[in-house]
Amino acid sequence: MKIEIRNLNKVYPNGNQALKNLNIDIEPGIFGLLGPNGAGKSSLMRILVTLMKPTSGVVLLDGKDIQNHRRELRSILGYLPQDFRFFTSLKTWEFLDYSAALAGMKNRKERLREVDRMLDQVGLLEVRDRKANRLSGGMKRRLGIAQALIGNPKLIIVDEPTTGLDPDERIRFRNILSGLSQNDVIIILSTHIVGDISSTCQKMALLNKGEIVFSGRPEALVGEARGHVYRLHLTEYEFEKAKEEYNIISTIPVETGWEVQVVTDTPPDGNAVLIEPNIEHAYVYYMEHKIHADLNI
Amino acid sequence: MAFLHNILTVSHYEAKTLRRSWFFRLFSIVALFFLTIINISMFSPVGGDSWELISIPSSVPLINLYLLNIGQAIVVIFLASDFLKKDKKLDTNEVLYTRSMSNFEYVSGKTWGILRLFLSLNLVVLLIGLTVNIINKSMKVDLMSYLEYILLISVPTIVYSLGLAFMLMLLIRNQAVTFFILLGYAALNMFYLWHRAGSVFDFMAFGLPLFKSGLIGFENPAAIIFQRLIYFFAGTALIMATILMFRRLPQSRLQRSVAFVLMVLSVAGFGYSLFYTVENYTKSAALKRQVIETNRQYEKSNFPSVIKSDINLIHKGSIIEATAGMIIKNDNDVQINEYLFSLNPGLEVKSVQKNAKPVAFTTSGHIVKVSPDKPLLPGESDTIEISWSGKIIESFCYPDYSDNIKEYRYRIQMVNVRKRQAFLDKDYVLLTPEAHWYPVAGLNYYPSNPGRIKIDFTTFSLKAKSETGLNVVSQGLPSVSGDYTSFSAGFPLTGLSVAMGNYVADTISVDSIKFISWHYPGNDYYREQFRELKDTLPNIISGFMKDLESGFGTPYPFRSFSILESPVNFYSFPKRNTQTRAEVQPSMVIVPEKLSTIRQAGFAKRFERQKKQMARNNQVITDRDLNVRILNNFLRSTFISGFTVTAFNIPLLNEPTRYQLGPSFYFFRNNFYSDKYPVVNSVFESHLQKLNTPGPPGGGPDRISGNISDNDMANLILRDISFRDLLARNPSPDTLRVVLTIKGDYLFNLLRMNAGITEFNEWFKKYLSENSFTRVNILKFNDDVKKRFGFEFYPLLEEWFTGKGQPGFLFTDPEASQVVVGERTRYNVTFIAGNPEPAGGLFNISFRTGGGFGGRGGGGQAIFSMTIQGGRGGGGGGRMMQISMQGRGMESADISKIVYLGPGEAKKIGIVLDNQPRAMQINTLFSKNIPGDISMTIQEIKKAPPRTAPFEGELLLEKMPLFTDPEEIIVDNEDEGFITSTVTETNRLRKLLGVKRSTGTVYQSVNLFMAPDYWQPVVLSSYYGRYARSAVYTRAGEGDKSVTWKGIIREPGYYDVYAYVGKAGDRIMIRGVGGPMGRGPGGGPGGAPGGAPGGAPGTPPAGQGGQGRTREQNPYRDMHYKVYHDDGVEEIVLDWETADPGWNRLGTYYLSPDTVKVELNNKTEGRVVIGDAIKWVIKK
Repeated sequence: MKIEIRNLNKVYPNGNQALKNLNIDIEPGIFGLLGPNGAGKSSLMRILVTLMKPTSGVVLLDGKDIQNHRRELRSILGYLPQDFRFFTSLKTWEFLDYSAALAGMKNRKERLREVDRMLDQVGLLEVRDRKANRLSGGMKRRLGIAQALIGNPKLIIVDEPTTGLDPDERIRFRNILSGLSQNDVIIILSTHIVGDISSTCQKMALLNKGEIVFSGRPEALVGEARGHVYRLHLTEYEFEKAKEEYNIISTIPVETGWEVQVVTDTPPDGNAVLIEPNIEHAYVYYMEHKIHADLNI
Repeated sequence: MAFLHNILTVSHYEAKTLRRSWFFRLFSIVALFFLTIINISMFSPVGGDSWELISIPSSVPLINLYLLNIGQAIVVIFLASDFLKKDKKLDTNEVLYTRSMSNFEYVSGKTWGILRLFLSLNLVVLLIGLTVNIINKSMKVDLMSYLEYILLISVPTIVYSLGLAFMLMLLIRNQAVTFFILLGYAALNMFYLWHRAGSVFDFMAFGLPLFKSGLIGFENPAAIIFQRLIYFFAGTALIMATILMFRRLPQSRLQRSVAFVLMVLSVAGFGYSLFYTVENYTKSAALKRQVIETNRQYEKSNFPSVIKSDINLIHKGSIIEATAGMIIKNDNDVQINEYLFSLNPGLEVKSVQKNAKPVAFTTSGHIVKVSPDKPLLPGESDTIEISWSGKIIESFCYPDYSDNIKEYRYRIQMVNVRKRQAFLDKDYVLLTPEAHWYPVAGLNYYPSNPGRIKIDFTTFSLKAKSETGLNVVSQGLPSVSGDYTSFSAGFPLTGLSVAMGNYVADTISVDSIKFISWHYPGNDYYREQFRELKDTLPNIISGFMKDLESGFGTPYPFRSFSILESPVNFYSFPKRNTQTRAEVQPSMVIVPEKLSTIRQAGFAKRFERQKKQMARNNQVITDRDLNVRILNNFLRSTFISGFTVTAFNIPLLNEPTRYQLGPSFYFFRNNFYSDKYPVVNSVFESHLQKLNTPGPPGGGPDRISGNISDNDMANLILRDISFRDLLARNPSPDTLRVVLTIKGDYLFNLLRMNAGITEFNEWFKKYLSENSFTRVNILKFNDDVKKRFGFEFYPLLEEWFTGKGQPGFLFTDPEASQVVVGERTRYNVTFIAGNPEPAGGLFNISFRTGGGFGGRGGGGQAIFSMTIQGGRGGGGGGRMMQISMQGRGMESADISKIVYLGPGEAKKIGIVLDNQPRAMQINTLFSKNIPGDISMTIQEIKKAPPRTAPFEGELLLEKMPLFTDPEEIIVDNEDEGFITSTVTETNRLRKLLGVKRSTGTVYQSVNLFMAPDYWQPVVLSSYYGRYARSAVYTRAGEGDKSVTWKGIIREPGYYDVYAYVGKAGDRIMIRGVGGPMGRGPGGGPGGAPGGAPGGAPGTPPAGQGGQGRTREQNPYRDMHYKVYHDDGVEEIVLDWETADPGWNRLGTYYLSPDTVKVELNNKTEGRVVIGDAIKWVIKK
């Protein structure tokens, strides 16, 4: 199974161009889509799940344009949108059952078993009879994940899935996805939490202002930042000065002042120590330095 | 399978979601609660057990679904519009949209979810109804109707509402706006559109007649089904359009195509159903116009009279084939070159023969023109045979009435019943003369003179068979020979009816008359109730017939009397040329199935109620006696007294019941005709009907409902127009009825005055008998009157018919004295009457004599009763409120004297009575006097000196006396000096909608139930006035509305200021229980509790005066007057309860020569304020 995105453009009626000539190939495994707010991630997602038509370009699923083969795409799709808060007055299990039934699970007994299994997997079994709209924010998110995963979808598209989840739940979710990715499933994960990408994605794309600015393995992105991330120990005065001078990624108060990590093309003076970048450093480096540099800003 | 799976999944969860919505839950709870109460109160044995409903089993599902549907039509709109709003608002729905299902599946699932939820509610409601239906042993169960009504009422309404709401939501995208538009549409349907264009707009079946007869089922299933299909198809078309326009990217081209095809098919189905419904309506309207136009061409033509008609009839499913051998006669003054007949336009004449030889004929619309070899000379007869066949077109009947269901609305409880005039199909036939199912030598409607009628007295014989095996029923006695059933009435009839169905007969002979009940098997439910009366039944019937005959002063003219059960849909319109309705035929009455619309026919329930009531009152009566009473009440109230007023279905029905047998004693037996005055038979009928039928006088119930009497209404109508001109304007039947009656009253009073009251009555009764079943030319009648009494009335008819002026009568108070004539004490009443107007006229005088209320000698008192269902219980705590009112019949025996006053004449009139008079009653007949019934209480009777000769007769005065004191300055509410505060329109909604309201310009009677918020002129004989004894009244307020009397004072000095209190005795009794119609022979109940002694006869308005009520009940209490005088203003509170009838002094004030005034405002602790007249009298 393969998704090919070719020359994809989306221009909204108000003239805003959300996607600009996108070209990506996505193969089984977890594909991370990273980008700041307004980068066009959700627009891309909505086109991929056939909620929206592109202005031009195509998305091919195994060579077939999904706009002409919506039934095929939807029959293998599990989708979690970015906003997932308002429910009709259905109970938790009922909502999941509804999703499962529409996902093609016709046998009621099997379906109910699967519903409970999935509720257990996302830690909602205890609240299965609670009305979905009375769940907490995190619980609603987990229910969203459950409904996206139920029915063994071959294509899972999740938009900001871990927002609102506590660390344990986030880890649990990453593990679920990792498990699923072993089964010839394409998982497209859109997020602005870079940790989600580094932990799970085999491939990723960095989207900015509707354009792909990076596409490849997360390690490659990290490699781009290598030699540009430093750790510094600063006094209060130096810290105030550094804020104006550098992109500070992390700040930890210490007894003598502050321990900070900065991304910069030029090594800072003083006690700066070059450190091994992670994907977060790479993301910041890419967004703040590489793109600006490429654009000569 | 995925297709169905997806639809069922969506519908399952949609239904679940809706079921949990507070709106649906609230609606369901309210609907179930309300309908359970309705079921218990209407259909269960412990409730009201309304006979008109329980007699027809389909009424249970009909009423239940009718009421539920009104609610659900609105709730569905809300929920459906909520559906798309929710889809837009709920982000979680996106995950459903990305599932593999088509828009067709999704929208269909949603639709089915809502539909099935509402259908479940419908089923629960029906289950409640069915349970009550089964429990009530008086009712049959029509299981099929439960399914039929759910398909006819609920499904199309819900589907249409869903489709419309979906579509509007897609287009408008705002739930509130959509909801309000649709709510407005529903309201528009209920208040404006429901009855228009053959119910084509009635999407919620709010007014659509859906009543299913227990005899024949749905009387016109095609019309009903197509009307409902309009909305079903419109709904499906809109739902399919919603699928196509749904804002989710589609995924199935095939299903989109299916949706498109279904939409096209639905639009086609919608179009055809719409076309069928509209076509039906417009075709009928066009045919009615055509009939009227054809009639207009032939209304001046001379028709023969049919003397004899032997009809051979074969029923073949939806057509008939018939042949009639007829003897016709020329009753005209001129020869007839063509024999003209009218035949229903659905029937086709096959041949006309004379002595087995064909005779030429042509047809023009429904007119058949037979061309004989030679003209038929006046007085000559001829014999012909006509054969015809075909269907019956019902629209032909009553061409002057539209098919609009609102016109003469026929309802059972809250549901409309389609009015049918003829039935002809394979399972049932009912053809009355109105359908012209055989050649009739006359027209069914005369466009230039709707009051005209042509009556033939024809000796009919009928030989008929039904090829579908139905039993044949007609007038007279049946005899069966092979497949044929023959009927011969034995007397000439004005028309022949035939019915065919699954009829069985119950026959009983009483006093040589055969009484036959033709009914469907199992519908003789009364047998069980009256089983014990089997032996006494002949006596009861005999008593009933004797009452009937003595009431009309002539024997029943036929040898048989049949009661024919008909589908509940059979309905006749009132006609302009007769008061006789088609339900009453010569020797036959057509009643609704199981007597359903006749309230008194619920015998078992009435028995139970009356038994309980009597037990409460410690009255002892045997079951047998009670049943006798119930049966007697039923017979008399249905067939004799015939006045039913039901207040549950406002407005009040103010018409005689349709089944009274009066026409058997005049209309079916006698006929007077005139070429110059073709309305003459209707005038005679109107007068004689009123004369002989003890019913409520001049609009008894009108008074309660706030309308003026028929008599007064007629005088107002004729104030500026002649009788002839009015007829030419094609007035409404109601207008015509009141005018015919007053014109008849006037004519007969004229005859009686000249001939002598008793002498004329006796002679005329004999005359009618001698001329039974004969048409009498009015000129011959004039000659006969002249021969017997020596005067001609015919020359007076010209003025009577074409004259425009009305007399106006003024009267002094009557003076009574006790005189001794011979050795007998008698009473002499004298008064002066004047007529200052340039037109002469008549009035008659009668007296209330003797003791208490109702104690008038000479008969003619009629007590009628009115039941108000659901009204507040009266003293007895019952659910029904009965109001008994005393009325004055028009029996000539009441009238002591008839007086004619020429233009500008005045007379002193004296009458000598055997009994002590309590009040004098004057009926001014045709005059400017409003009200025409004037009641004058005789306050004092003086003893005349011995040997005083009483004054009896009339004395013409040389000049017109003054009827008021010239020293008194009187301003009446009719005068120029009387000013009412302007009515200001404050209701914005009314303004916006342009709704005009009554501004109080037409006289009414006081309506205490709904007093207006403006000053409404009202009339009553106890009010002050020259011709119009009127006042104005309004409902109690805060003093913000006022009236002012302004007078001109020419001489300074102290003046007594008076206000007129137009108070009569309280003549109304309110008792706590319902009861049968009372028919009051002279006497009646002796005095209302606390009522005025004796009191004036007549029909005073509800609650007038206060003597019969407690203070809390009295609607007339403190009246606040402001008297303006030289020293300022003084407010005087006049207490109506304690005030004397007539002038009441407000005080004495000094007034300078100027315009002076008195004001009255609407502040009071009572219910209404009434303003009449003010008088200033200088103190000498």
